[in-house]
Amino acid sequence: MTTRTRRSILAGTPATLGLAGLILSACGGDSGESAAPAAPATGGAPKGAPVKIGASVSTTGSNGKTGQYQVEAYQLWAEQINARGGLLGRPVEMVILDDQSDPTVGTKLYEKLINEDKVDLVLGPYSSGVTQAVSTVTEKYKYPMLSAGASASDIWKRNYKYVFGVYSVAESYFYGVIDLAKKNGLKTIAIINEDTVFPKATAAGTAEYARKEGFRIVFQEQYPTKVTDLSSLITKLKAAKPEVLVGGSYQPDSVLITRQAKELDLNVKMLAFSVGAAMPEFGEGLGKDADFIFGPSMWEPSLKTKGNSEFEASYKKKWNREPDYHSATGFAGGQILEAAVLKAKSLDREKIREALSTLEIETVLPGKYKVDDTGTQLSHIPVVIQWQGKDKPVIGPDAMATAKPKFPMPEWKSR
Amino acid sequence: MVTLVQVVVSGLLLGGVYALLAGGLTLIFGVMRVINLAHGEFLMLGAYASFFLFVRLGLNPILSLLISMPLMFGVGWIAQRLLISRVVRAPLLTSLLLTYGVSLALTGGAQATFTNDFRSVPFLSGALNIGEVAFSVPRLVACVTALVLTGAAQFFLARTRWGKALRATAQSADVALACGIDIDRARMIAFGIATALAGAAGTLTSFLYTVYPEMGKTFMLKAFAVIVLGGMGSFPGAFLGALVLGVIESTASYVTTTQIAEAVIYITLLAMLLLRPQGFFGLKEA
Repeated sequence: MTTRTRRSILAGTPATLGLAGLILSACGGDSGESAAPAAPATGGAPKGAPVKIGASVSTTGSNGKTGQYQVEAYQLWAEQINARGGLLGRPVEMVILDDQSDPTVGTKLYEKLINEDKVDLVLGPYSSGVTQAVSTVTEKYKYPMLSAGASASDIWKRNYKYVFGVYSVAESYFYGVIDLAKKNGLKTIAIINEDTVFPKATAAGTAEYARKEGFRIVFQEQYPTKVTDLSSLITKLKAAKPEVLVGGSYQPDSVLITRQAKELDLNVKMLAFSVGAAMPEFGEGLGKDADFIFGPSMWEPSLKTKGNSEFEASYKKKWNREPDYHSATGFAGGQILEAAVLKAKSLDREKIREALSTLEIETVLPGKYKVDDTGTQLSHIPVVIQWQGKDKPVIGPDAMATAKPKFPMPEWKSR
Repeated sequence: MVTLVQVVVSGLLLGGVYALLAGGLTLIFGVMRVINLAHGEFLMLGAYASFFLFVRLGLNPILSLLISMPLMFGVGWIAQRLLISRVVRAPLLTSLLLTYGVSLALTGGAQATFTNDFRSVPFLSGALNIGEVAFSVPRLVACVTALVLTGAAQFFLARTRWGKALRATAQSADVALACGIDIDRARMIAFGIATALAGAAGTLTSFLYTVYPEMGKTFMLKAFAVIVLGGMGSFPGAFLGALVLGVIESTASYVTTTQIAEAVIYITLLAMLLLRPQGFFGLKEA
């Protein structure tokens, strides 16, 4: 099975190397600092057998909505790389499957991608739960994988050698929010989260960091997925009187928490949600009740990162909607893979693995791509957004801020 | 004390929404002995109908019921005529498979047509305070609407000619047929009403929760728990079961955690099946 893959790689080699040389010289060599290629057209139309890059992403199931952004980004990246001469001169062909948000299905699909579809390389799935499961498969077959849709640090605590983080670990999502709370003299915090891999990791990291920064955790509780009522939890929260409330949550529960907090008149000085708040639909669904709510974001369209405005414009043109940060992490995954292949100068997965572990490049994401020995992402910098009217400007860190934070959140009755 | 009252009030308001969904489910089971696994997807369709009527025409979701309920009645009527009628007398597994297939097809169709985007209707928010107890305005409106619709359906069943035909069909299809009742039509009416009620439940959830193609599944487990508590096939039983379940859920969430509350619901369900399998008002058979 593997021999066939190798043969197909060898078959393309002479032409490939020639073209690769061209591309590399055009890009200014293969130093670790070489930027992810954003400039178009080097070697003309790609030739030869396609480089098959496989991924399974949730486009149905509970994470289907977010996964869709990642798929669109993968496809946009493939289209752009083909337009500028392909990968090592060969066209890129994406093989994208749907794991229905189910980790078990995900593992089967990566087995299929590797053994049946015989893909040359893989890109990561969406969500920490699925990524954690499928990384055992990619590790087994020694396929380096950029985890472009996952951030729970558990993924990198297993001494795996073939999985690499694209953006910050889930544990650090709320660091910016806590820093801001501390700056404003707040002392108590409550943490609630859905009981699945990513929200749990977010909550655990937030609790640890908050304690370290001198906060007192006055309330902490988890709730199941598909929850239909959080009024009892909010009643308890009210009694605990936290100054800061953070929710390790996705979109539906973030909206539910906000609605029921208003109904039961739970007032806090700062309210923040992990995934839900950064999505445009959060503001559309809640109207002005979304105001003052904070959220971490891995990327924002307003950021002045390398190639960002081009990325946003081409994404909007191709998909007819605004990219979400999940689009940007997916696109960055492609950019990093491309840079690693160019650095390795081949599709040899061992060399690509080497390249990924030493590479240091700028992508559309804020900060840089640079991992430690475990593959954990170290240099990406999450930003904090806040809903202000119909916009959600970046309010931190200061160097990237486009607006000042509005603080504190007024009581519901006086809004 | 205030907190306890608050928890019970929240539970009752939650139960109101469950009631509307479970009412239709139990009606279908009562009249046809069919367990409709696609019921949650009818809720989803109703939610989308209200969402689009709100976004495109700015129509008040409660008023949009005047459009969406007849529409959903039609959907149910057609579904019964084309699909369900073929399996009414077949073994239970056949109808389970069929309705499960319908559920998958509707979810997939919705994903293709409406995309997986999360949507919600920014309609009503906040609470009405009586003393220190907060009555969530959107949930109160939903609960009252559910009460009115369930009452109307119960009136139809108990007091009208076609309601009587439905009940006769439920008791014994053969005897009803012998007495000259058009049982096929009675079943289409039953399925139509049930679907319209599910659609109405969808309208109510559209401004309480987030609308997306798979939202139906969130509520279906609860709806099944409700009809087991209330008694399979009993309409008033479903209403009582829903309120009881809502209160159990919110009380257990308060005393323990929301996670444990889920378990408490299913333990209650199990206990009911062991001690009183016919539920509060169920038919004492099967």
